Amino acid sequence: MNEIVVNDLTCIYDRKPVIWDLHFSVPKGAMVAVIGPNGAGKSTLIKAMIGLVPAISGKVRFFGKKLDQMALKIAYVGQRANIDWDFPITAFEVVLMGLYGRIGPFRRPSKKDRAEVYKVLEKIGMSALADRQISDLSGGQQQRLFVGRALMQDADVYFLDEPFSGIDMTTEKLIVDILKELASEGKTIFVVHHDLNTVESYFDYAILLNMRLVAFGKLSEVFNSENLVKTFGGRGGLFEKAFLHAKEREEGMI
Amino acid sequence: MIPLLHFFQDPILTASTLGTMLMGLASSLVGVLVYVRKRALIGETLSHATYPGIVLGIGVFSIFFDHSPLIFPIVVLLGAFVSGFLGIYVIYYLESKLSLNSDTALCFVLSTFLGVGVLLASKLQFSEPVWFQRVQALLYGQTATMLTVHVYIYAVLAFVISVYILLLYSPLKIIHFDYDFAKVLRIFIKPIEFFTLILLVFAIVIGIRSVGVVLMAGMLIAPAAAARQFVRKFWQMFVLSSFFGVGIGFLGLVFSVNGSIWFQEKYGQKISLPAGPIILIIATLIVLFALIFERKRGLISRIIRRNQFKMNCVEENILKFLSKSLNKVHFSDLREVVHLSIPVLWGVLTMMKLKKLVAESDGFYLTKDGNIKAMQIIRLHRLWEVYLFKCLDVQRENVHKSAEEMEHIITPELEEELTELLGDPKKDPHDQIIPRKEGLS
Repeated sequence: MNEIVVNDLTCIYDRKPVIWDLHFSVPKGAMVAVIGPNGAGKSTLIKAMIGLVPAISGKVRFFGKKLDQMALKIAYVGQRANIDWDFPITAFEVVLMGLYGRIGPFRRPSKKDRAEVYKVLEKIGMSALADRQISDLSGGQQQRLFVGRALMQDADVYFLDEPFSGIDMTTEKLIVDILKELASEGKTIFVVHHDLNTVESYFDYAILLNMRLVAFGKLSEVFNSENLVKTFGGRGGLFEKAFLHAKEREEGMI
Repeated sequence: MIPLLHFFQDPILTASTLGTMLMGLASSLVGVLVYVRKRALIGETLSHATYPGIVLGIGVFSIFFDHSPLIFPIVVLLGAFVSGFLGIYVIYYLESKLSLNSDTALCFVLSTFLGVGVLLASKLQFSEPVWFQRVQALLYGQTATMLTVHVYIYAVLAFVISVYILLLYSPLKIIHFDYDFAKVLRIFIKPIEFFTLILLVFAIVIGIRSVGVVLMAGMLIAPAAAARQFVRKFWQMFVLSSFFGVGIGFLGLVFSVNGSIWFQEKYGQKISLPAGPIILIIATLIVLFALIFERKRGLISRIIRRNQFKMNCVEENILKFLSKSLNKVHFSDLREVVHLSIPVLWGVLTMMKLKKLVAESDGFYLTKDGNIKAMQIIRLHRLWEVYLFKCLDVQRENVHKSAEEMEHIITPELEEELTELLGDPKKDPHDQIIPRKEGLS
């Protein structure tokens, strides 16, 4: 009951498997790095877990509950490329957006809600820039806002897709500290992570992924050169080719 | 000339006035949604897609009803709705079922529907020449024949649009800003997007009467595009855009009516200025105005900022020069240093006196603040020289010129970085002392 369980999760895009038959179970309060080469399906994994991309098979349970019962307890910080940076919106409003799940579409935020937003802005060091339009902020400042929005959601599980790419060191440290604090409060955190050098200082669990699960477990047990070679060694490509070949045979394409 | 108030009182003009203003309101509100989604072409496509429906509607009407002024607009609007929705469906089908590229699908629908409409219209041309005139009017708009019943229909449609946006403001904002987040929040994206398209057809149907099928897309995008230049929040964009939209509609009508009268009086022959094109010209002018006066990237503010920067450089050069000269400096000597005309230099010096950077008594000299600022500039100049000399291996003789420019540009953050990188140097490559950071702020 105190775990996030993923069973037999498979996603296919354009007839090619992106992730294939993943199994793992993450304990509550873990801080998990999702690691793998480009195209390994890291983003797809977390998107499939929260229903952003359809899975063709698989079961995901959050502490014994289905996604539908948990939807409002899940926060997601997507890749920066997917956001419309020209949109007319201020820093304050981005963080305020995190309240939507709690107050719904029709209620206006109360004074208390707004005070809460200011507290979050304080925490992410953005109070002075609350009224700035997002297009006027730096990459690091923008990323802070999205972490702030996730904090505002008061979720139980946090998913972040490459939150540290293209931001300054100060922001990276600030975000890591916030995430560690959340984990110590019993929140579970998944981060798609690129920089192998910082994995050991940031995380306590790792999912090593290359379309299939290479290894999952406590960092001290799985984060070793053998597994990293397996993950980044490029053997996944062969599997993909074989799979596509089999599929094409099956459908009478060749 | 007809005075402005008469546009709301005159029994013939009132319907056109209110009609075009409602058109402006509806299209500018929906236009915001189209604009932020960056799908301007969909407005263009759907407005053309309504055309065959209009022609068919009029054709059917001419067969079944005799000149009944009440039913006529309803049949026409119904025809426009139906073919507009058909257009949406065909786009959807081409995009999702036949996985056609979005632009291709839009252009396909635009040209096919317009083509079918023109074909139907040419049939009507010979069988029903009177009705054909009316069809043609709707291509470029015709405000003069607007009736009270039009106004009522438009008012209802514009009301539906306003209420929809008011009610669904937050979900709309999230969907357009961050689609994935909307999905995570389980917002009903598909129905909302579909209903937005329906409202787009509503707005177009209102608009074809005043500006016509061909020009309608401009009326959707122009108010939103102009509003975007001035706002920081989504709701402000709706407010400003609808203000522009209503204003454009009204002004367009006024110019078209009064312009026609003016031409008639002046030249005695009938040169009429059609409302639709005039409305669009005004809309374009407003967008142009917005682009010029926008606060950040607008032409005017860029000129102002460029001049501010130039003046700033002049000011800093004067400070530097004064700090290096032992005696008080006369106006004519300063002119030789900065090469400015007398009034400009006088203006700069007056500003500097007001800022208490320099003082004048029998020549100019630095105040205490002025001296601190001059030292700061010299510090930046010499730090940059050290950086060029040490880190970029530039010859000692050549570092001065670049530093002359960079001293005006280096920000406090850059200065801090430079200081750290160079290990807080005491002297520049010419062995001159770099003023210490302490006591300069």
